[in-house]
Amino acid sequence: MRTIAAAPAGSRTYDLNFARWVYQNVDGGDRLSLCMQCGMCSGSCPIGTAMDHGPRKLFMMIRAGMKEAVLTSDTIWNCTQCYNCVVRCPRQIPVTNILQGLATVAVREGYAPEQPTAKFAKAFWFSVKHFGRTDERLVTAFFYFSFGLVEGIKRGLANLPIALRMIKAGRMHLGAPHRAKGAADLRAIIAKAEEIEKRERAQGAQQ
Amino acid sequence: MPGQAVESQVILVVGGGIAGITAAVEAAETGYDVVLLEKTASLGGRVAQLNRYFPKLCHPTCGLEINFQRLRGNARIKVFTMATLAGLSGARGRYKASVAVSPRHVNANCTACGDCAKASQTQVPNPFNYGMDKVSAAYLPHPMAYPMRYVVAPQVIGTPEADAIRAACKYGAIDLDEQPKTFELAVGAVIWAVGWQPYDAGKIQSYGYGRVANVITNVEMERLASPGGPTQGRIVRLSDGREAKRVALIQCAGSRDYNHLAYCSRICCLGSLKHAAYLREQYADAQVDIYYIDIRAHDKLESFYRKIKADPQVRFIKSKPASISAGENSDPILHGEDTLTRELYDRPYDLIVLATGMEPSAHGVTPALKLSTDDYGFVVPEIDEEAGIFAAGVAAGPLDVSMSVQSATAATLRAIRAVRTNGAAAHKGQA
Repeated sequence: MRTIAAAPAGSRTYDLNFARWVYQNVDGGDRLSLCMQCGMCSGSCPIGTAMDHGPRKLFMMIRAGMKEAVLTSDTIWNCTQCYNCVVRCPRQIPVTNILQGLATVAVREGYAPEQPTAKFAKAFWFSVKHFGRTDERLVTAFFYFSFGLVEGIKRGLANLPIALRMIKAGRMHLGAPHRAKGAADLRAIIAKAEEIEKRERAQGAQQ
Repeated sequence: MPGQAVESQVILVVGGGIAGITAAVEAAETGYDVVLLEKTASLGGRVAQLNRYFPKLCHPTCGLEINFQRLRGNARIKVFTMATLAGLSGARGRYKASVAVSPRHVNANCTACGDCAKASQTQVPNPFNYGMDKVSAAYLPHPMAYPMRYVVAPQVIGTPEADAIRAACKYGAIDLDEQPKTFELAVGAVIWAVGWQPYDAGKIQSYGYGRVANVITNVEMERLASPGGPTQGRIVRLSDGREAKRVALIQCAGSRDYNHLAYCSRICCLGSLKHAAYLREQYADAQVDIYYIDIRAHDKLESFYRKIKADPQVRFIKSKPASISAGENSDPILHGEDTLTRELYDRPYDLIVLATGMEPSAHGVTPALKLSTDDYGFVVPEIDEEAGIFAAGVAAGPLDVSMSVQSATAATLRAIRAVRTNGAAAHKGQA
């Protein structure tokens, strides 16, 4: 049976086994060893200037074992998943998938508590998991209040005029959240998947 | 196949570039009869289209002239231009080769006086200059053409202009009724020297070749710098004729890229270093930027790299550029990441040259000629030994000129062995 290896133990900041662990455990990581540091990915990134390192440099940092610097980098969170780099990469490395996989690890291992993108991802997942759909009010509310009660109210009030105009224009409805047909079945499926993942990770940790 | 009888010792060379010419003259000078086929109207191939050779920057016309002299003086060599191999049947020592010849409409009476060109009004794209300029429908393939004979383009055949072209010829050299023809040859071995073609830069979508003005390829740069080129050797922009002084040379444009050519084409780094030399020779204030992943100037060519690198007006930027967009005044803008500094640049240039790689030519491949090729279409040289078919030059892999010549000599030796011996054992050198 497949097992998910735990993130490498040892130092949280610097880990010589980190590259190997990424190659073996992050989706698409097996192609990462082909990276020739040409810069096509970072150069092609439409929001490259909004990234601290960019994918190319981040990949070199993985090889250098700079675990903490990689997992706290904003590069993995600011990726908009446009796939420009994936299409152009001369080595056909799935850059986007790798960044997403690193983001998952960063959350799981507690490296990204203050990342707004991570908070938003959690809000999105909350809505999908419980209702089978994204409800804009639910997602925004969850996201705003994940910054704390006061900050949540502040952000909510700041955006109230927009919300009212959306309601007026019929772009946001009042009443119960959107719910997919068979949302209960979806919840059961997700629960099962989470159970399997938990078991596999527990086995991986033992090995 | 022991005991296999050799019925013909003729060596057929397909492709009249530097490798094919070398193979033909070396086999003939060793005492073997050779038939040399060339698809275009003149021998010389890609080498004839080069301005200079690296690393000594001497002119290819010189080496071609020597080889044409060797060809001309050797009665053992029969040259067919505008000819392709249409089919091949049989086995080593007794092949039947079928040769297809397209009409040139100009016979051997031609003295290359040029009167026919003066009588022609139609202009056709000049393949010798990669279509960057035009020539008359009656044209000499290039100034060093071998045979030194004009061609009448098929576009004008059957028009009154063709009659005028015929009337202008004082020597009765124009034959408008010439038809395509096919003939058969008995040959003992085949040297496959069909060469290469530049990779289609238009396929590298983000570099905008064909869409963004003043983005050209390295082979076009050779023609621009050549006295026989569209600008008589002045390196200027085709969009407005302005001198190209700020120039970016982009390495690995389509090479070392799984989306294009997965292999290193081996010649482009040196080609671009040479282009930097052309620009610096022509303009004292030229600023040349070479964008590279790694500079692959192997063994003896390293010193040429060092020489260019010592020039403060040639910058080496470690980056595979991401894209090219159109800027103001027809200046192309280059975008990417400098991987040593992590600087994201957007730089305008007068001219951007894409160092496109070598793609093996598919020309004249027939089902009858079953060649063992690698994943990229290059012939694996050893596999067809027993069949008496040998690849030479770039047909066997990306090579520069001197390595092509070495490869052709090696193929010639193998072909001679194949037509000399009667059995596999002897062929393997055990007799």
